[in-house]
Amino acid sequence: MPDATQRGKNTAPWWGFLFALGAIGCNILFFVSPPLQGALPWLSLLFALLALVFLGTGLRRAFAQAHVYRGKVLSVVLAVIALFPLGLSGFAFVKARELPGSTAAPQVGQKVPDFTLADASGQPVSLDRLLAPAGSASTSQSQAQAPKAVLLIFYRGYW
Amino acid sequence: MPEFEAAGVRPVAISVDAPELSRDLAHKAEYTFPILSDPDTAVIRRYHLLHMGGGPDGHDIARPAELLVDSSKIVRWTNFTEDIRVRARANEMLAAAKQLR
Repeated sequence: MPDATQRGKNTAPWWGFLFALGAIGCNILFFVSPPLQGALPWLSLLFALLALVFLGTGLRRAFAQAHVYRGKVLSVVLAVIALFPLGLSGFAFVKARELPGSTAAPQVGQKVPDFTLADASGQPVSLDRLLAPAGSASTSQSQAQAPKAVLLIFYRGYW
Repeated sequence: MPEFEAAGVRPVAISVDAPELSRDLAHKAEYTFPILSDPDTAVIRRYHLLHMGGGPDGHDIARPAELLVDSSKIVRWTNFTEDIRVRARANEMLAAAKQLR
């Protein structure tokens, strides 16, 4: 049986901790809206799973294979600290995807319903007016002729 | 925004926010496009984009969605995200806009 000085360094908890930071880091990346951001939720999930695997391995090595590996205290401390970013990443993943379906919404090729809504200055603006030449629209866009299209952007708002 | 204008597309934002809130947003972010208010979600419902209880205090809001609608009110391109963190990027919307003839 190897003595204390011969026992191997247990690096798994550090890898686990690093992946936990990576998982939460993915969430921060959304703010800069990088290309391929659609992959970020899954990357975050992958990092979180890898973090769990490495933290688990680290704990198992430190406790079940204590004769081979060091790092009992370290593996526990890193696992506990990593739980915070891991929990947050998991929560964000579930909450961000709690969205109703979009199959009933207007699809490509379909005609959209008309509407009239108040703009930021309280003036009513209709879809017809948005599609008409500017000048009649509420904001001072300098479009001389009618736009080819309008881009309707529905957003969650600031409540 | 000038790019959208050059492509002949007028962006329009719609949410449940009151006009005052939209005015603050437009001012802060220097948005020049119309920001419309649908506080009672009538239009959001008409478009089937209601996220019931989606607001932090449990009231109804719009799910994020982008629709490119041509001059005959036909949808030409859509983006319905499945994750509120993943939004359509301006260059994706611009690419769709430029495909219009």
